[in-house]
Amino acid sequence: MKILAFISVVITGIILVYATQDMPDWGDPNSPASRHVSPRYLEKTLEETATPNAVTSVLADYRGYDTLGETTVIFTAGLSCILILRRRKQRH
Amino acid sequence: MFDLILSKYNYWIYIVMMMIGFYAMIGKRNLVKKIIGINIFQTAIILFFVSTAAKKGGTLPIIEHAHGHGAHSVNAATYINPLPHVLMLTAIVVMVSTLGVALAIAIQIYRRYNTLEEDEILEQRKWSHNLPR
Repeated sequence: MKILAFISVVITGIILVYATQDMPDWGDPNSPASRHVSPRYLEKTLEETATPNAVTSVLADYRGYDTLGETTVIFTAGLSCILILRRRKQRH
Repeated sequence: MFDLILSKYNYWIYIVMMMIGFYAMIGKRNLVKKIIGINIFQTAIILFFVSTAAKKGGTLPIIEHAHGHGAHSVNAATYINPLPHVLMLTAIVVMVSTLGVALAIAIQIYRRYNTLEEDEILEQRKWSHNLPR
């Protein structure tokens, strides 16, 4: 069983390493992740949000709905932990 | 060949870490070890995304000389990309939440079957007569 798991892990690793040859180089300033909307956030963050910290302004201003979803996830996880760990009273 | 390794070795390191977590998820029998494997896998994915945000010669994404000046032009190529860092903050929170729920489920399994080994739990379920259907 563990041999089978090890073989499938090695095969998956080889497939993933083969797939990285299409990915952008490390530290490339023209990679697709660093174009389109990300330089706009960096250039306009001071005049639109008055926050020099670009990570804070993106998290709380430009992507505020994502933060709302994140708090919903925390609430749901806490609720399900309480519901799972209840002890039921024995009814006789 | 050497510059292929030099330009992509960050992805390869995190693929190795992902495969370690993947092996722990499917190769181990104890439930807590499987949960730790899930956590290692998620951490490797988070680090993988954060490594795509780097730029050569870029500094932290905090605009310098911001106070006391008016509007001045910002060259976006001198700051690293802030967007994967922000998305991975949410991913870290989701990771911790799923870890909490998984451990609560493991506690409840232990209360019911008195063991945390996967093969013993399956054995008890095979020979039990009052399973919920």
